[in-house]
Amino acid sequence: MKQFWKILKFELKNYFSKKVFIIVTLLLVAVIAAVMFIPRITSLFESDGNADSADAESSAASDVMLVKADAGENAEVIKEYFEAEFPEYKVELTDDDLDGIKAKITDGDAECAFVLTSPTEYTYYVDNLSMYDQNTAVADEALQSIYRINAMTASGMTPEQANEVMNIQITGKTESLGKNQMQNFYYTYIMIFALYFVILLYGQMVTSSVATEKSSRAMELLITSAKPVAMMFGKVISSCIAGLTQLAVVFGSAILFYNINKSYWSQNILIGSIFNIPSGLLVFMLVFFILGFLIYAFLYGAVGSTVSKLEDVNSAVMPLTYMFIFAFIVVMFSMGSGEVDNILMKVCSYIPFTSPMAMFTRIAMSRVPWYEIAASILILTVSTIGIGVLSAKIYRVGVLLYGTPPKFKTILKLIKKS
Amino acid sequence: MTLELNDVEKSFGEKQVLKGVSFKAEGGKAFGLLGRNGAGKTTSIRIMMNVFSADGGEVLFDGKPINYDEVQFGYLPEERGLYPKKKISEQLVYFAELKGMRHTDAVASVDYWLKRLGMAEYRGKRLDTLSKGNQQKIQLVTALAHDPQVVILDEPFSGLDPVNAMLLKDVVKEIIAKGKIVLFSSHQMNYIEEFCDSIAIINGGKIVLEGDLHTIKRNYPRNRLVVRSVKAADIAKEYKDRCKAGDDGALYITLADPDEKHAVIKKLAESYDIDEIRVFEPSLNDIFVEYTENNI
Repeated sequence: MKQFWKILKFELKNYFSKKVFIIVTLLLVAVIAAVMFIPRITSLFESDGNADSADAESSAASDVMLVKADAGENAEVIKEYFEAEFPEYKVELTDDDLDGIKAKITDGDAECAFVLTSPTEYTYYVDNLSMYDQNTAVADEALQSIYRINAMTASGMTPEQANEVMNIQITGKTESLGKNQMQNFYYTYIMIFALYFVILLYGQMVTSSVATEKSSRAMELLITSAKPVAMMFGKVISSCIAGLTQLAVVFGSAILFYNINKSYWSQNILIGSIFNIPSGLLVFMLVFFILGFLIYAFLYGAVGSTVSKLEDVNSAVMPLTYMFIFAFIVVMFSMGSGEVDNILMKVCSYIPFTSPMAMFTRIAMSRVPWYEIAASILILTVSTIGIGVLSAKIYRVGVLLYGTPPKFKTILKLIKKS
Repeated sequence: MTLELNDVEKSFGEKQVLKGVSFKAEGGKAFGLLGRNGAGKTTSIRIMMNVFSADGGEVLFDGKPINYDEVQFGYLPEERGLYPKKKISEQLVYFAELKGMRHTDAVASVDYWLKRLGMAEYRGKRLDTLSKGNQQKIQLVTALAHDPQVVILDEPFSGLDPVNAMLLKDVVKEIIAKGKIVLFSSHQMNYIEEFCDSIAIINGGKIVLEGDLHTIKRNYPRNRLVVRSVKAADIAKEYKDRCKAGDDGALYITLADPDEKHAVIKKLAESYDIDEIRVFEPSLNDIFVEYTENNI
């Protein structure tokens, strides 16, 4: 136990005195600070910048949209509607023939043109059709409205009545009895991403830390000075603390800066929802983060002990990384589809290697009975301890094997023997 | 204080590396564990230090099965290596603490040994800024700083210049005088011969020779004579196939019977102009080669 604390202290000091660690953390905090202060800073400029924005509007409206309609009396109505629907365009009626219109567009005198051949048929001319061009959809709707109103007035309604029918407002309220996926989607997403990056990053660090000790042959001395279990747990837990500290600093500063600038973010529902994390969820985040981190870090450490050259580290950790990425992708897809309780997610929330992300997502975005959560955490805890002990054993036989990385079977045989 | 390996066996996969190794090292004396490359020295040492467990046999300390919580080992591995990017004092204190020392004691002890080895000025430097020989001296501190009962030195002299080798010799003599068990493993026979009171030669996973070095030499058949003479050619003619010229220019005459020694010496002295004549006493090197030449 005493050795464990010594190792923990030594390894922690390694992490915290690393320049990269400090710089990356500070950089992240700086970026978060910058983002969080943006609305406050822009509001400073806005107070004397109203004239500018008016200018911007008029210039935006300078794009010309040509409308050619055969049914003369309707042309004015269409123009009116289009002006309302396309505030960013200057809508102009034209009598030019088709070639004239095309020429205007290619010359840049007009941005686009709607040539109507009947109240329900048109051709849309544009120079380069942009990926985000929604004009036809908007025009469809406008023309539909005009057609309907015309039809209604033709059958005897007054235009006012027709308008009323067209613009009837429906009032409705949504009450979510479980979780509101729209609100918790973003913070779940951010947390899963944080989990993913921290585990992947620190896992690799544990591997290379073990592999470095092995390749510098400091291992020869370490293995005779300290118990493998103390070595493994000291290394892995110190990396967990370092990772958690980094996360805490980053998230902590985000929350701090958000609260400083809270009033400036009041209109932004997205940011508001991100910082509206229920504290119970934070506890689950911590539990699944620690357990998920440990189980992977133990494996990464064990893998590191079987590698004799630093060059081999990357290929050795590949299977482990793939397994982790698989878990990540399953969770991300399920989140995207909105079906976080699908069969795959349910299965994954009991498998120790996928449950930290899968179960956490389900807790955050759906309603999971407490016994399922308890079972998942129990399985994960027991497997983490088991993997920890196993990896210490792999470490013990692995660190003294030099040359080509041994096969998993060979290692198991050696463990059985010792 | 004694440390003993008793009929220790160990296999890696199909290969049996140790086939019943037994030897005994005593406190206050240096013990030499000799063997060719791959003979099983390092495996024996690792079993002794509980890095591996043995497949069979036992490790005894003072005649009882060893308790690794009580017996401290100091180890200078053949493959040297520490943390190259770390400050020297920092890692030395860390290693001493890992062996159970309190922080303040560890700092004091590391300071003492750095001074003793003339390395005090490097205390705050990074290890990889030092020369190989100096790195080795730093590594030696990790074997000694925690004041262990058993010190195992694997090839301690390789890479040291004569001045440093002398310094190390003094240090080793000092720790032997303190009554510690010192176990040497080396190929440099002259150092073993200088320090070790008893030796064990391991070959092919078995101990082929063990005991007090003087006794071993004394018991070596005294049936060869070393002769130096200007008339070497004539002597060689007389003794024909019993006589062999050595690389050093001397003649080596093998006697049919050690008792014949006196008569032959007398005869040679009377018949030829002799510069030197003595009974051949084998060096450790000779003994080593003889016992390990065949089958590994």
